[in-house]
Amino acid sequence: MTQRISKYQRFKMMNPIIQFFKFIYLSIKIMIIVAGGHGGTRKVD
Amino acid sequence: MSKIVILGAGISGHVAASHLRRKLAKKHQVVVVSPNSNYQWIPSNIWVGIGKMKSEKIRFPLAPLYKKKGIEFKQAKAISFFPEGDKTEQKPYVLAEYVTEENKGKQEKVTYDYLINATGPKLNFEATEGLTPGKNKTYSVCTYTHADYAWEGLNTLIQEMKQGKKAKILIGTGHAKSTCQGAAFEYILNVEQELHKHHVRDMAEITWIANEHQLGDFGMDGMLLSYGSMTMKSNEMVEMIFEDRDIKWIIGAGVNKIEDGLAYYETLGGEYKTETYDFAMLIPAFAGHGFKAFDKNENDITEKLFKGFMIVDADYTPKPYEEWSVKDWPETYQNPNYKNIFAPGIAFAPPHAISKPRKSKNGTDISPSPPRTGMPSGITAKLVADNIIDSIKNGKDSLHHKGSLGNMGAACIASAGYGMMTGSGVSITTYPIVPDYEKYPKTQGRKLGKTFGEIGLAGHWLKLALHHAFIYKAKMRPFWWLIPE
Ligand SMILES: Cc1cc2nc3c(=O)[nH]c(=O)nc-3n(C[C@H](O)[C@H](O)[C@H](O)COP(=O)(O)OP(=O)(O)OC[C@H]3O[C@@H](n4cnc5c(N)ncnc54)[C@H](O)[C@@H]3O)c2cc1C
Repeated sequence: MTQRISKYQRFKMMNPIIQFFKFIYLSIKIMIIVAGGHGGTRKVD
Repeated sequence: MSKIVILGAGISGHVAASHLRRKLAKKHQVVVVSPNSNYQWIPSNIWVGIGKMKSEKIRFPLAPLYKKKGIEFKQAKAISFFPEGDKTEQKPYVLAEYVTEENKGKQEKVTYDYLINATGPKLNFEATEGLTPGKNKTYSVCTYTHADYAWEGLNTLIQEMKQGKKAKILIGTGHAKSTCQGAAFEYILNVEQELHKHHVRDMAEITWIANEHQLGDFGMDGMLLSYGSMTMKSNEMVEMIFEDRDIKWIIGAGVNKIEDGLAYYETLGGEYKTETYDFAMLIPAFAGHGFKAFDKNENDITEKLFKGFMIVDADYTPKPYEEWSVKDWPETYQNPNYKNIFAPGIAFAPPHAISKPRKSKNGTDISPSPPRTGMPSGITAKLVADNIIDSIKNGKDSLHHKGSLGNMGAACIASAGYGMMTGSGVSITTYPIVPDYEKYPKTQGRKLGKTFGEIGLAGHWLKLALHHAFIYKAKMRPFWWLIPE
């Protein structure tokens, strides 16, 4: 086994307080990307 | 009055049916034809397959909901298509066969003004000899029934490991052309974490086997993504996760035969190898349902409607990988020969793969087929419904709503372990889904800020939040339509 994720990184990944803010941030970011619209690619209306 | 028939009540069929019903006056008929009595939120099957969620939590019966909402439901499967009617029936119709006890085998011509084919994929286990869920120690998590069996099999092995048995676990793709690597990726990480929880992780060797030429390809040609303050390739990210969790990997592998505890595969390098295992979860190839189509004189016109999956407004001209373009991908999911037929979700025939096609030294195709995940399945179904709604309301054909996978983002929240405080998720968001090498030539066809990866507890919460939100939406509870696809 190779430890590729350091203890500090793991702490950040699993800390509920940090992750709570990350959850809010990710929810908004994903919403913007996914609900931010879609369209065709062939010609611009 | 118009009659819209929807085949299939999975993510795309159900999204289309619910939007049509909400936006169309009651005089218009919305009919769903689907063989399964339940709706299932497939992405949560991963948790059913590790015993963390009961399959009842991810499904609900459709008939009572449809009755309440004014959607007609026929628990039947489509068999063949008659887009011009026949000698005795003027209207176009689909021949459907009931599957319920009381009507089993009874056939009906289900006529329509508009038809939405949302039948998704046929899980083509037969394409790999010996790959049958629950047999030869191989399992699947593609349906809730399969996932229930997978948990039974895994739990038995965990109990044996507790008694001192050393075990080998193999998870990945079960065919050289399989897709849906993301689901297998989620499952392997969840299984790995469950073994820790049961204190048997050190008794198991866990191996990823896949037809990808590189880890993290996911059938999407891999991706370059922002990760924290860095820019990383998806293969580097997955490699980091696998190494950190002591998961071995075999890639460029086309599994072609399964025997009890033994997987046969061919590598891109042309070697024929085997891998032993005590438990395997291998995603089968996906195929079209083998539907037939006939004109009004009952001549076979299947090639006008199907190319494996349903033909839509894609550019199917065969061309080499270097000439592929986002413009090849469909925008309206309308069949070019019969303009009142549409196929969103997985049901449409893609113009080609997304990942670069690769052949082994022996000439066998070993590379992923293009995935179509839940989010684009929902979005394409909604835009098809919106175009039909506009066409009905305006009295003329309308195709204003467009959504190419080359101009659409998707989030894939891969669970990496279950638990409110111990869970984890790998959140990968890509924009666009199909890389646009003209627009984003220097970042592997995708927009960097919108293509990003994140690992951590927040990902688990997000996946759980999506589970609840989408089941709420599917149950058409108050203001369900405010939740985006
Ligand atoms: C284990 C797993 C995990 C996944 N996780 C994610 C995830 O985390 N995020 C994500 O975005 N996507 C995920 N996906 C992908 C997602 O589930 C699919 O993209 C989605 O289900 C496709 O929707 P669909 O409606 O096109 O097809 P399906 O959901 O397959 O629906 C097809 C419907 O057609 C019906 N049908 C079949 N044959 C007939 C017939 N002859 N006549 C009438 N009806 C028929 C079926 O009963 C079903 O109701 C996952 C997939 C799997 C297998």
